[in-house]
Amino acid sequence: MAFTLRGLKVSPNSASLEEARSRVFDFFKTACRSIPSIMEIYNLHDVVTVSQLRSTIASEIRKNAHIDNPKVIDLLLFKGMEELGNITEHAKQRHHILGQYVLGKQGLVQDSSTKDEGISPFLKSFYETNYF
Amino acid sequence: MNKVFNRRTLVVAIEVPILLLNSDRRDRKREMGLGIFTSMLLRRTIIQRSTKLLSPQSPIFNNSFVRPIVSTPELKNPEAAQADPVPDSPPLPPRSPVGGARVHFPNPEDAIEVFVDGYPVKIPKGFTVLQACEVAGVDIPRFCYHSRLSIAGNCRMCLVEVEKSPKPVASCAMPALPGMKIKTDTPMAKKAREGVMEFLLMNHPLDCPICDQGGECDLQDQSMAFGSDRGRFTEMKRSVVDKNLGPLVKTVMTRCIQCTRCVRFATEVAGVQDLGMLGRGSGEEIGTYVEKLMTSELSGNVIDICPVGALTSKPFAFKARNWELKGTESIDVMDAVGSNIRIDSRGPEVMRILPRLNEDINEEWISDKTRFCYDGLKRQRLNDPMIRGNDGRFKAVSWRDALAVVAEVMNQINPEEIVGIAGQLSDAESMMALKDLLNRMGSNNVWCEGNGMQTQADLRSGYLMNSSISGLEKADVFLLVGCQPRVEAAMVNARIRKAVRSNLAKVGYIGPPTDFNYEHQHLGTGPQTLLQIAEGRHPFCSAITNAKKPAIIVSAGLFEREDKDAIFSTVEAIAKNGNVIRPDWNGLNVLLLNAAQAAALDLGLIPESNKAIESAKFLYLMGADDVNLDKLQGDAFVVYQGHHGDNSVYRANVILPAAAFSEKEGTYENTEGFTQQTLPAVPTVGDARDDWKILRALSEVAGVKLPYDSLMDIRSRIRIVAPNLLSIDEREPATFSALIKPEFPHSMSSTPFKAAIENFYMTNSITRASKIMAQCSAQLAKK
Repeated sequence: MAFTLRGLKVSPNSASLEEARSRVFDFFKTACRSIPSIMEIYNLHDVVTVSQLRSTIASEIRKNAHIDNPKVIDLLLFKGMEELGNITEHAKQRHHILGQYVLGKQGLVQDSSTKDEGISPFLKSFYETNYF
Repeated sequence: MNKVFNRRTLVVAIEVPILLLNSDRRDRKREMGLGIFTSMLLRRTIIQRSTKLLSPQSPIFNNSFVRPIVSTPELKNPEAAQADPVPDSPPLPPRSPVGGARVHFPNPEDAIEVFVDGYPVKIPKGFTVLQACEVAGVDIPRFCYHSRLSIAGNCRMCLVEVEKSPKPVASCAMPALPGMKIKTDTPMAKKAREGVMEFLLMNHPLDCPICDQGGECDLQDQSMAFGSDRGRFTEMKRSVVDKNLGPLVKTVMTRCIQCTRCVRFATEVAGVQDLGMLGRGSGEEIGTYVEKLMTSELSGNVIDICPVGALTSKPFAFKARNWELKGTESIDVMDAVGSNIRIDSRGPEVMRILPRLNEDINEEWISDKTRFCYDGLKRQRLNDPMIRGNDGRFKAVSWRDALAVVAEVMNQINPEEIVGIAGQLSDAESMMALKDLLNRMGSNNVWCEGNGMQTQADLRSGYLMNSSISGLEKADVFLLVGCQPRVEAAMVNARIRKAVRSNLAKVGYIGPPTDFNYEHQHLGTGPQTLLQIAEGRHPFCSAITNAKKPAIIVSAGLFEREDKDAIFSTVEAIAKNGNVIRPDWNGLNVLLLNAAQAAALDLGLIPESNKAIESAKFLYLMGADDVNLDKLQGDAFVVYQGHHGDNSVYRANVILPAAAFSEKEGTYENTEGFTQQTLPAVPTVGDARDDWKILRALSEVAGVKLPYDSLMDIRSRIRIVAPNLLSIDEREPATFSALIKPEFPHSMSSTPFKAAIENFYMTNSITRASKIMAQCSAQLAKK
């Protein structure tokens, strides 16, 4: 376990919201830079594209867009760093990545689009499964 | 003394494993057996102890080492049987008949009374002792007796004691006489059964652990219930050479106990003389007399009637044990009969199909196509929506994309050029949805394959089997018009054969030369003969007019002919002249070919124009694989919704995978108007969906949303169109007879009738994908 903590240091708290914001952007850039190596490590070329993974990361970050407390943002950043470290160190296996970032909570991430607005519950469940 | 003892224990050790297969039932029995065994041991130790106390050197003590050979030592002396040592047992409450059977008294004066185990039962004259016991609620063990076959009386397992009879009597062959006192539970009867069991097991191999019948074997069950718990057999067992009966029935003839059920079934029900009994005494064996396969369309039923593992299913051999299978009661869709079946599945796989009892339709038999088509459900399946790309290859896409493409194309095409064809395996719900969808798009060119163009669907009597399948048994003259019941509907053929055997019914046949398994007259091959009969110029006319219950059966294969209306009005003329339609008997029948036909005509799936396919720009095939698409225009857009990659897929532009009959709940109406439902036995394959759900989803994507979201909703829609499709397991006869139809003046062409089915074993997409059916048509089909 020790190696996961190597090179990882808790940065000092962000002084202001602006500083926290810029750190989030830095984190996003770091994550995006590591996508090619992640694709290589987990052999994701035939299931997902770089841009899809990038938008998954972005949407994971956007999930917390409403948070305006710098301390909380720092905490979330730390967790994000840890997760990224785990992924790039191959501490996870392929199905972890597939389950968490390639397939979303509702089936294939790439399948869910904005076209679904306004369709009936029948059609929505029809696209998912035969048994409803 | 010691030597004898050792040998006997050895024999016990060999003979007992026959019981060691586990199922729920078997477990219960084994517990029971062990309980008896332990109580016997306890009793013996008590006796030993007491004798020890009394006189250790007494001869009784020494003898107690000798294990008695029969399990019930008190039966050893024959006088015990007469003594009847249990006078004080409390009277049992009267039992209800076995299997809830009801007794029908054709003539109330003929009722006689017999006593079974002291209880009086009323039975009609002519019942056997065994039937009387069944009415009294006593199940008599049997091997050779089968209620639908003639009586052989050769297994002797059904021995019971009858008062004032010197010997036990074989109850299956002994007619019950008034006042007879039958005892089924006396020491004499028990001993007789035990003895018979011992003889049967003498030459029966101890291979239950590798026998496919294990767990559902009559011999296994009855040896548990009535057999001895030890054997005294030391010699070699007899062995018999296995016979080759074709690709369906596997034989292990050493296991055969010579009950001759299969021989009687083949000669009486199936009507083939292929099986027989050869040799005498211990050399007796069942076989085909010469090296020959069993060529009957009902041959699979010998697997069910064989009480041991001598005849088992070849495709099912070593695949599964019966206790690990889940049974689903469903309906067969291979032909228009709608045989009742049980689909046995393990996980997502259909392992076998067995018949279910329905006296009105299939009795307890099913055809080989029904029984062995199931391996087709695992091959050639469509599992993803697919779109044909520019290179002509199919590419798997999501449902979203597939439906969007279909809806877009459908909306760009003139309503008159949209055509829908339902396949022969479609259920009523999906056909309703297909018709509603096309009607909402503005088209009314929708029909079911096999029904032809412009078929008269106004009167239900015009396309149903009006005398009902079981009613055919009562007929005494048959006129088959272009109809080969043996391949078109094997179960209907079995009924006709039954009528020929029991009523000596005459059968006249008009059509191409074909195979019959009963006596028949080949009257002619084409419409001319029909015209002769209608005009009274044919000798067969007198047979029809003189008959008590004449039946005319017209094949639905004639629906495809141009002059079908003329043919039908000629047939109606024959019916009128021969007085075939009476208040109490309607003998004018149509024998349909496909499971979907009757429901399709009930729902009004009739095309608007005769040239629908030629002018189609958008063709929606819902499992339709037997339509001729040669005349279709090259630029027409074809959607195939179905479960198998069969004929039509070659022409399709989009494939929408659907569920097969074993995977969905659907309503089917059989050829006599009997409505039944299938139930899902296994999950759907891949990304497939139920047929009606696909149509409902497509309608929403295309912007003409259908107003139903569930099977309940769609059935309430059907209630408006054809309410008879909702009364499940009921036969809705036609209200008006065909006689009110106006005469049709057109003349018939002279083209002779064609065979409706070329190959019995391959008639739809499931059977065409089946390996077993391919073997059958290679080896068994008549060339």
